[in-house]
Amino acid sequence: MADQVIFLISLVTLAIAAAFSYWSARISMILSLAVLIVASLSYFKMLPTLIFLVAFLNVLSLLALKSSQLKGIDYALVSFMLIATLLIFYTSDPAMLLALFVAASAPTYILIMIGERMNIDIGVKYITFMIFGTVLFILGAALLYYNFEHRSSLIYSLAMLSLITGLAIEVGIAPAHEWVPDVFSTADPVPVSIIASLAKFVPFLVAYKVISATAVSETQQLLFLIAIIAALSMFVGNIGALTTKDPARTLGYSTVANMGYVLATFAAINAGEYVYFAIAGGILQLFVNAFGKIGFFNSIKEGTSSTCSWLLSASFIGIPPLMGFWSKFLIIYSLVFSNYLWLAILLVLNSAISVPYYVRLARITGKGWKPNITNYVVLVASLLMLITLIPPTWIVESVMQLRW
Amino acid sequence: MIEYAIIIPLVFAIFLPLLDAKKAAIVSAISFLIPMFISLLNILTFASYEVFIENFGAPIGEFYLLVDPVSNAFGFTICLVSAMVAIYSLPYMKHRFEEMVHSKEITNVEREFKKYWFLYNVYAASMLLLVYSGNFLLLYIFLELSLIASFLLIYYYGYGNRQWVGILYFVWTHIAGVLALLGFLIVAFESQTLAINNISKISFLAWLLIFLGMLVKLPGFGAHIWLPWAHAEAPTPVSALLSPLTVGLAGYVLFRVYTIDPSFIIAYRDLILAFGIFSSVYAGLSVFKQKDYKRLLAYSTVSQMGYVLIALCVGSAGLLGLIIQYMSHAFGKSILFMTAGALIATYGLRDLRKMGGLHEYVPTISNAALLGFATLSGVLTIGMLGEFFILVGVAELYKLNLAVIAAISLVFILSGLYSFYTMKVIYYGKPAQLERPKISRLLDAPLYFIAFFSVAFLFPPLSTALIEGINYVLGGVMP
Amino acid sequence: MIEVLAILFLSPIITSLPIALAWGLEKRPPWADKLAYLSVFGLFLSLVAAIYILLNVGELTAESEPVKYVIPWLPAVNINFVFIFDYLSKIMGTLTAFIAFLIGIYGLEYMKHDYRLGWYWFFFNLFTASMLLTVYSDNMLMLLIGWEGLGIASWGLIGHWFRDDDHLSYVGIIDRKVWKLNMFWSPSSGAWRAISTIRIGDIPMFFAVGAFMVLAGTLNISEIDWVALEHKIGFTGIAILMIAFMMGPFTKSAQLPFSEWLMTAMTGPTTVSALLHSATMVAAGTYLFMRLSWYIEPWHAGEGYEVIYAVVLFLGLASAFYGALVAAGCLERKVLLAASTMSSLGLMFASTAASYWVGKIAILVGFWYLVTHAFAKATLFLVAGHLIHETHDRFCCGNLELAKKLKIAFIATIVATLCLSGIPPLTAYWVKSAMDGVMHSLDEHFGIFPLILLVLTSAVYSAFLAKFLALNFLKGREVEVHAHGGRVMSFAYALMVSMLLVLLYFYTTTHEEPFAEFLHEGFMVSSFAVGLLVLVTYLFALRNPSIKALSRIGMFLSDRMYLPFLNDYIVPKIGWIMATIVDCGNRLIDYICHSAFPKFFEIISYSLRMIQDGRIERYLKIVIGFILVVLVASTTVGW
Repeated sequence: MADQVIFLISLVTLAIAAAFSYWSARISMILSLAVLIVASLSYFKMLPTLIFLVAFLNVLSLLALKSSQLKGIDYALVSFMLIATLLIFYTSDPAMLLALFVAASAPTYILIMIGERMNIDIGVKYITFMIFGTVLFILGAALLYYNFEHRSSLIYSLAMLSLITGLAIEVGIAPAHEWVPDVFSTADPVPVSIIASLAKFVPFLVAYKVISATAVSETQQLLFLIAIIAALSMFVGNIGALTTKDPARTLGYSTVANMGYVLATFAAINAGEYVYFAIAGGILQLFVNAFGKIGFFNSIKEGTSSTCSWLLSASFIGIPPLMGFWSKFLIIYSLVFSNYLWLAILLVLNSAISVPYYVRLARITGKGWKPNITNYVVLVASLLMLITLIPPTWIVESVMQLRW
Repeated sequence: MIEYAIIIPLVFAIFLPLLDAKKAAIVSAISFLIPMFISLLNILTFASYEVFIENFGAPIGEFYLLVDPVSNAFGFTICLVSAMVAIYSLPYMKHRFEEMVHSKEITNVEREFKKYWFLYNVYAASMLLLVYSGNFLLLYIFLELSLIASFLLIYYYGYGNRQWVGILYFVWTHIAGVLALLGFLIVAFESQTLAINNISKISFLAWLLIFLGMLVKLPGFGAHIWLPWAHAEAPTPVSALLSPLTVGLAGYVLFRVYTIDPSFIIAYRDLILAFGIFSSVYAGLSVFKQKDYKRLLAYSTVSQMGYVLIALCVGSAGLLGLIIQYMSHAFGKSILFMTAGALIATYGLRDLRKMGGLHEYVPTISNAALLGFATLSGVLTIGMLGEFFILVGVAELYKLNLAVIAAISLVFILSGLYSFYTMKVIYYGKPAQLERPKISRLLDAPLYFIAFFSVAFLFPPLSTALIEGINYVLGGVMP
Repeated sequence: MIEVLAILFLSPIITSLPIALAWGLEKRPPWADKLAYLSVFGLFLSLVAAIYILLNVGELTAESEPVKYVIPWLPAVNINFVFIFDYLSKIMGTLTAFIAFLIGIYGLEYMKHDYRLGWYWFFFNLFTASMLLTVYSDNMLMLLIGWEGLGIASWGLIGHWFRDDDHLSYVGIIDRKVWKLNMFWSPSSGAWRAISTIRIGDIPMFFAVGAFMVLAGTLNISEIDWVALEHKIGFTGIAILMIAFMMGPFTKSAQLPFSEWLMTAMTGPTTVSALLHSATMVAAGTYLFMRLSWYIEPWHAGEGYEVIYAVVLFLGLASAFYGALVAAGCLERKVLLAASTMSSLGLMFASTAASYWVGKIAILVGFWYLVTHAFAKATLFLVAGHLIHETHDRFCCGNLELAKKLKIAFIATIVATLCLSGIPPLTAYWVKSAMDGVMHSLDEHFGIFPLILLVLTSAVYSAFLAKFLALNFLKGREVEVHAHGGRVMSFAYALMVSMLLVLLYFYTTTHEEPFAEFLHEGFMVSSFAVGLLVLVTYLFALRNPSIKALSRIGMFLSDRMYLPFLNDYIVPKIGWIMATIVDCGNRLIDYICHSAFPKFFEIISYSLRMIQDGRIERYLKIVIGFILVVLVASTTVGW
C-alpha cells in the first residue's frame, strides 16, 4: 500500500517537474532528484540502490548538457524510467509488467533526439527498431502467458523466440544490432549513455520474469538456439569493435557484446537453483555495462584521468576483483552447471578478444582529469566498479529473495 | 608471523608513490626483505599452519592463508627476487625513464617513478600472496592482479612495439587464467568448496581446463610463442620478475592441484612427459638462433618450464624436483635478466652480434651471468638438486627405459650447452670495441645476493631443511 | 675430524676469495697481486690436512676397512655427505693436494704478470678443492658437486685468456684450414669445447646416480649391494645403468670419441694444463672408475658387469693407442703432452677394467700408474710452461744452447721421460711390467690382443717422450731465449720430478702389496723384453726425432686423424640444422598466432562493419530476415 502511495506521489511530482521545466529547468531538476531519492529510499535494498545510482549519474550527466532542447523534461524522463524499473522488482502481474516495459522504453524515444541540435534522423532509426522490438516482445510475452494456461509446444516455442527476438531488437543483440553502432556514434554521448545504461534493465528484467513465470519443462532446444544467438552477439560485438577507431562506435559494439553475455544467462534459465546465479550474473553484467557506458560516454565528452579509464576497461575485460569479473564469473558459473561449457569457453575467448579495444578505449579516453561535473560522474562510475572488492554474495542472495 | 609479513608489500604499495624514487626503492626492498627472512625462518623451522580469513559458504568455501614448507619455499623465492629487483630497478628505470624523456614519450621522471613503484609492489606482492592463498578463487584473483600490474608495466615502459606486446601478453595469459578459473568452477560445483584443504577430488574436465590454462601460462610448446615477445620487450626489472617468478607460478598451481588429486597426470603421464620433453628440447634449440639477449633468455625460460612439466609427471620425487626447479630457475633467470639489463643500461646493447668479450669491460656482470647460467644448468648450485630429483623421479617411474633416458638427457644437456654457448658469445672472445663504463653498484650487487642463496641452498642447513620440509608435505614417500 | 675436513676443502676456496675480490675492485689496490701467496697458503693448509688424514685415519693398506665420516645433508631422502678414507682416497687426496700446492708455487712466478689473477687463483683453488671433494666422496651426489666443480673450474681456467688476443695461447697452426674447418682454436673456443663435451657425459651420469638412488636405495658407493643390484635389474639393466654412469668418466677422462676437448684445453695457462692432466679433472674419471671397481669387486660380481668391463677395457686400449699415435705426430709442446695424457688415461682405464678377470691387483696397478704418471706429467708440463715462457713459442724448439741455459729443466725432462716411458729399472717400468702381466692374464678371454695393444702403445709412448726431449733440448731449431729468472718455477718442477725417484724407492724396497707384485712382474723375462723394446724406441726417437719421409703421416696424426670434424663440424652441423628447423617452426607459429589470426579477425571485423552503411532499409531487411529465420526455427522446434 505504502509503495503505491509513494509511486503516486512520485508521478505527481514528476508531472509538476515537467510542467515547471517551461519556467525553470533547475526546479525540474531538483524535483526529479527528490523523486529519485524518495523512490529509492522506499525500497532500500542493494539492487534498487544501484539502479538508483545509475539513474542518478544519468541525471547528473544531463546537467552537463549545455543546450538541450528539452531542458528540464529530460530529468523527469530519467526519473520516470527509474521508477518504472524499480517497480518491476515488485510486480509479477503480467499486464503490469508489460505496461512497465512500455513505460520504461518510451522516454528513450524522446531522449535519443536531444543534444546540441535535434537529431530527427537518428530518432527515426531508433524508434523504428524499438517499435519492432516492442511489438514482438509483447506478442511473445502474451503468448507465453497464454501457453501457460493452454499448453502447446508450438506456441511455446513461437512465443519464446519472438520474446527473445523482441528483446534482441530492443537492446541490440546481433543480428538485430544494426541500429546500435549508428545511434551510438551519431547521437549526443549523454543521451546515449542513458540508453546504454538505465534503459537496458527493464527489457531483461521483464524477460526474466516472464520466462521464469511461464517456464515449462521442454525447453532444451530453444535454450540452445538462444545460446547460439548469444554467442553470435558476443562475437559480432567484440570483433566488430576490434577495428573501430571511433570510441562511441566502439562502445556501440561493446554493448552488442555485453548484451550477448547477458543473453547467455537465458541458456541457464532451467538450471534449477543455478538459475539464481544466472540471473544474478546477468543483472550484475547489466550494472557493469551501465556504469561502464556512463563512464566511457561521459569521458568521451570531457575526458577523465587515466586511472578511471583503466579501471573501467579492466572491469569490462573482467579483471578480479572488479565488478566485471564477478558478473562474468557468475555467468560462466551458471553456464558450466547447466552444461553449456562450450558457451562458457566462447565467453572466455570473447573476453580475450575484447582486450585490445578496451585497452585502446582506456588510452583514448584517459586524457587527463578536469574538475567538472562530467568528470565526477566518470569517477563515481569507475569507483563503483570496486564495490565487489568484497565478493558479491549479496547479489545472489537478493536475486533469490525476489519473486521470479 | 608470515601472514602479517606478506601483507607488508601490498600495504607499502600505497605509500610508495609518496616517497621520492630513491627512498621508494629502499622501502620497497625492505617490504620484501621482511617476509623473505621470515619465510626463510619458516623453512628452517618447518612452519606449517593455516590462517582463517573468511568463510563465504558453498560453493566458494573458506578463504584462508596456507603456510607450509612448499608455500614458504615459493614465498621465499618471490621475496628474495622481488627485493633484489627492487633495488636494481632504481638505476635501471632511471636510465629507462631518461631514455623515454629523451624520445618525448614521457615528461617527468619523478612522476613516472611514482607510478612505477606502485605497480611494481602490487605486482610482486600479488605473486607473494598467491602462493600463500588457501583457496583457488583467492589464488585466481591474485593471479589476475599480478597479470594486470605486469601488463601495465609492459604497456607503459616496455621496449619496441610495447603496446602491441602488452596486449598480446595480456590476451594470452588472460585466456590462461580464465581457463583455469573455469576448471576451478567445476571443482567448486563438485566439491562445494574451493578451499584447498577441503577438496578431495578433481574431475577430468576440471583438471583438463586447469591444465590447459596453466599450459598456456607456463608455457608449453605452441602456446610458448607469446613469451619471447613479452619477456624480451618488458622493461628489464619486469622481465626479471616475469620470467623467473610469474610463469613458474603455473607450476605451483599444478602442484597444488596435483597434491589434491593426481588422477589426470597419472592417466596421461606418458603423453604429458613426452610433451614436456619436446617442449623443453624445442625451446632449448631455439635459444641458439636468437640474436637478442633478452629473447634468448626468454626461450631459455620456455625450456626450463619444460622441466616443470616433466617434473610433474614423475611422482613425488618429481614434485620435489618441481619446487626446487622453480627456485633454481627463479634465482638463475633473475640474475641473467638483470645482467641483460645492465648491458642495456650501460651500452644500450642487446644484440648478440654486437657483443663479444664483454668480460673485459663489465667483469662483475659477466661473473654474475656465469653464476646465473651455472644455476640454470645445475652446476654447483641449487639447480643441481632440482635436476637430481627430476632424474630420480624419471628413474623411479620409467626405470631404465633407454628412450626416456636419452630424451631426458638431451633436455638437460641442451640447457648446459646453450648456457655456456651464450657465455662464450657474449662475454668471451675478442672484446667488442667499447669503453669500460662506470657501473652503479646497484646494478650488480643484488645479483650476487641472489647468487649467494643459489649456492647456499645446495648445502646444509638450507637444503637439509628445505628438502625435509617439502618431503613432509609430500607425505614422505621417497625412495 | 670436521675441522680437518673444513681445512681440507674450504681453506683453498676461502683463501682465494681475497684476491678474487681485490682484483675485481674498481680501483685495484697495489697489494692485490700479493694476495696470491695467501691462495697458495690455502693450498698448503689443504696439503697438511691431506697428509694428516693419510697418516692418522685408519690403516694404509689395500685390504684395510674404509673409515667413513658422515655429515647430515638431505637425511630426508637418505643422502648425506659421506667422506670415505680408504687406500685409494687417502693416497689420491695427498697426491692431489701435493701437486696442486707445487703447481701453485710455480704459478706464483709463472702467472705473475697476468691480467686476471683474481679469476685465476679463485678457479685454480676451486679446481683443487673440487678434486679433493671428488676424491674423498663416498656419496655419489656429493661426489657430483666436486665433479661439477671440476667442470666449471676447468671451463674458467681453459678460457682464462678469454680475449683470444694472444697467439701464444692458441692451439694449432694459426690460419691453417682443412677443407672448411679451421684447425686452430682460441682459448674461448677451447673452454666451450671442454664444457660442452663434459656436459654431454655428465647428464647421463647424473641420471645413473638418480637411478642408483631408486634401485639401490643409497648413493654410498661402498654400501651399494652391487650383486643384488644386478639380480634386480638384470643384464641389460646393469649394462644401461653402468654405461650411462661411465659417460661421465669417459668424457672427463677424454676417452674416444670425447678426446678433442682435452687437446684444445691447452689454450689455458700451462699451470692449468699441468694440474688438469696430472691429478685433477682427467684423473677424476679414472679415479672414479677405480673407486667404483674397488667396491663393486667385479671379480666376485656376476656376468652383467662383464660387458661393461670389456667395453671399458677396449675403449681404454683404443684411446691409449690413438693418443700415443697422435702424440707421436704432434709438434706442439703442450698438445703432444695432452695426447700422451689421453694415452695414459686409456691405460689406466684398461688396467682397472681388467680387474673383472684379474682381481684387485689390476686396480692397484692402474692406480699406481696414475700416481707415477701424475708426477711425471706435471713435471713435463711445468717444464713446457717454462720453455714457452722463455722461448715465446708453443711449438717444440730449442737445442743444446737452450739445455745449457735451462739446466734444471733439461735434467728434469730427462728424468721424467725416462721414468715415465717404462725403461728398466726406472719408476714406470715396475708398474708397466705389472700392467703387462695383467694384460697377459686376459689371454684366455681376449687372446693376446690387449697385450699387443699395450706393448705397441708403450713403444710409441716412449718414442714421443724421447722426441719431446730431443726437439726441445737437443735437435730442435735454434731459438732466442728471453731469460726471466724462473727460479721458483725450476724449484717446483725439480721437486716434482724428484718425487718420481721417491716412488722408485718405494716400488723397489717396500715388500707390501702391490709393490711386491710389481717387483715380481718386473723381474720376469717377458717384462724385461718389453722394457728393452721401449728403450730401443726411446733411443731411436732421440736420434731421429723428426722423420721427413713420414711428414704426411705426421700431419695426419697431428690433425688428430681429423677427429675435430666430429666435434667442430658434424655435431654442430646437426645441431644447427635442428635449430634452424625449430626457428622456422617458431616463425610459423608466431605468424599464425600474431599475424594471420589477428588479420583474419580484422577482415571479419571490417566485413561486419560494412553492414553499417546507415541505410535503414538495409537494416530492416536484415531484421526481418532474422525474424523469419527465428520463426522457421521456432516452428521446427515446436513441432
